[in-house]
Amino acid sequence: MRELTYLEAVREALWQEMERDERVFIIGEDVGVYGGAFGVTRGMVDHFGPQRVIDTPISEYGIAGAITGAALTGMRPVGEIMFMDFTTLAMEQLVNQAAKMRFMFGGTIEVPFVLRCPAGSGTGAAAQHSQSLEAWFVHVPGLKVAMPSTPYDVKGLLLAAIRDPNPVIFVEHKLLYKSKGPAPEEPYTVPLGKAEVKRAGRDLTIVATSIMVVRALEAAAQLAGEGIEVEVVDPRTLKPLDTETIVASVSKTGRAMIVHEACKTGGYGAELAAVIAESEAFDYLDAPIVRLAGRDMPIPYNRTLEYHTVPQIEDIVGKAREIVQGRI
Amino acid sequence: MPTPVIMPKLEMSQETATVVGWLKAEGETVDKGEPLLTVETDKVTIDIESPAAGTLTGIRVQADDVVPVTQLIAQILQPGESLPSHPVSDEEVLPRGKQKATPVAQRIAAEHALSLDGIKGTGISGRITKADVEAVVSRVRATPAARRIARERGVKLEAIPGSGPLGRIQAADIPVGAGLANQNSRPHPGSSPESRGESDGDFEVVPLTGMRRTIAERMTRSAQTAPHITLTVEADMSAAQALRAELNARAKAVQVPRLSVTAILVKACAWALMRHRWVNASLHGDEIHLHRSANVGVAVALEEGLIVPVIHRAETLGLGEISARLSELAERALQGALGPADVSEGTFTLSNLGMYSIRQFTAILNPPQAAILAVGSIAKRQVVVERDAQDAVAIRPMMNMTLSADHRVLDGAVAARFLQDLVDVLEHPNLLLW
Repeated sequence: MRELTYLEAVREALWQEMERDERVFIIGEDVGVYGGAFGVTRGMVDHFGPQRVIDTPISEYGIAGAITGAALTGMRPVGEIMFMDFTTLAMEQLVNQAAKMRFMFGGTIEVPFVLRCPAGSGTGAAAQHSQSLEAWFVHVPGLKVAMPSTPYDVKGLLLAAIRDPNPVIFVEHKLLYKSKGPAPEEPYTVPLGKAEVKRAGRDLTIVATSIMVVRALEAAAQLAGEGIEVEVVDPRTLKPLDTETIVASVSKTGRAMIVHEACKTGGYGAELAAVIAESEAFDYLDAPIVRLAGRDMPIPYNRTLEYHTVPQIEDIVGKAREIVQGRI
Repeated sequence: MPTPVIMPKLEMSQETATVVGWLKAEGETVDKGEPLLTVETDKVTIDIESPAAGTLTGIRVQADDVVPVTQLIAQILQPGESLPSHPVSDEEVLPRGKQKATPVAQRIAAEHALSLDGIKGTGISGRITKADVEAVVSRVRATPAARRIARERGVKLEAIPGSGPLGRIQAADIPVGAGLANQNSRPHPGSSPESRGESDGDFEVVPLTGMRRTIAERMTRSAQTAPHITLTVEADMSAAQALRAELNARAKAVQVPRLSVTAILVKACAWALMRHRWVNASLHGDEIHLHRSANVGVAVALEEGLIVPVIHRAETLGLGEISARLSELAERALQGALGPADVSEGTFTLSNLGMYSIRQFTAILNPPQAAILAVGSIAKRQVVVERDAQDAVAIRPMMNMTLSADHRVLDGAVAARFLQDLVDVLEHPNLLLW
């Protein structure tokens, strides 16, 4: 199959859906002439024109309000918050308006928008441009949250998200933009709410999100050399969550480790751990459920400190080994 | 101020005392040191003396009450005093230390370096008692998986040393063979401890426990729920025996273990199972699972029952490897040292009683598997063969095999075709090379 980068996969999904559906448009800061802070929308304004690739002033509140309003009138907007950190400024529109409307109007309206949010650390962008804030949105009924880890998934999930009648917070990891992987050229969708077992194994289930899927797979490859077979499960969408796949995997391996970049306390890993503990997988657990997550502190600017603030491959390898060897 | 009468602590380890009866009545005047009531501990019966002179008032316990030590049981009033109109609680009357724990509880906790903070007291006013502390001290640390396995097998976790942190018992710590038949497992309902294992008239009473009980339950369930069909075939083992002799003649030179007949049978079964997936199947509720690899279990007889270690992915293994694994598994089975991984995920079972000169027998299915093969002895028998287009009588090493199959999963013809291929491969072992 043809290979392309995660970034190209996002652009291809946007491009193909805008060709297919005239209701789809892009709106955000520097998405037009500049081509997006990371180059995702490069060239799109030339092809689709400034009516469909709209540059906005620096107002996240405005972007979120505009996509909510446009979605209500029947459009299929795709907004971009240049750094997920600044969803703070859009929260009123997202949490109190977009997420609630379908329910408060008794199901008579839909809010079909996607808000793309580049997130994550590793670029030396410091505390205000490096966060992973997915847990905030998972906590709000009415919002869906997708967090793809591969070019294949990002394209399929973005198409599914644009076509979904509900607001979807779409979290892309900045470091993944350059990662390459196979993805078909023709449009396809990956359903929201369907996890994928990225690697099968019998000794330990690692449930990882976003870039941690990539690191977990690398860790699993190293551990395989020691005879430790790790199963890596990627939920792909945090909400709705495919509990079935996770529970089945943990029931099989008897051990569960959760890896995410966001801070540990109050992070999505707590939800995953509780889902596992509450499920029928409980009786199969042969070790405590372990969370490996970012430290509870702002991402430092210093690159060495930044590196050690979030889980790395060697951290995953070490922790997985401890679990499997019954040392935790 | 009224003087409290409390239930005294008469022995170091005493938690409670039983009231035998009052010697004085409510409102009666008593002298200091005069007996008020009689109580009984598990060792002694003793009279409790009045701690003061005055009027006995507010009696709170009656005959036969079991009363925790240090609890308020009555009060002695001085002339002119009266009891408060609201009910008196222990807190108001009794002097109290910082920790609400009985002295025994404190001692046991100290011996085990246990903090009393996290312990919930079940005594009066939430006081921590000996039983509360002991419950914590004796709490077995075990993972949920270990608890489930222990529950399913009727094994007591207390007897098992845990290899995890803080001595936590993990699934792998529960030996498969050991524990199944030990006396610590669930007693059979109705069998009193006294009679267990002892001669009781004309017969000896042996409780149905452990491995025996597991076998009883599984075989009953299998026999009652799975409609068994049984099919018998015979195979001419000349070629298989020749193969074995030939390989074993070279075994020593190339330093591989000698080959057993069972190893050839396992390999032949795996070969045939790969060609008949409905025989390599198991039934789980509404689902039939057709397994992709042949995990062939081989029944091993033990003193206390039997166990079925599994040769996983037998279709991928050579005869030498199968033979080596078989003897290693059998040895560990006899030592009771098989782990859960050694006996799980079997997809088919082989039961060989050939060594006891059994000509043929039928086996009960090993649930959830859809088929089991019962193998009889190899014995020289007269058979009719064709020689130069003429029928002739020959003497050949023949072996009978009986397949029991779950008719819910597969039908007679499917089982028959499997057996046909199995006989074919045993009579022409070169086919194993395919």
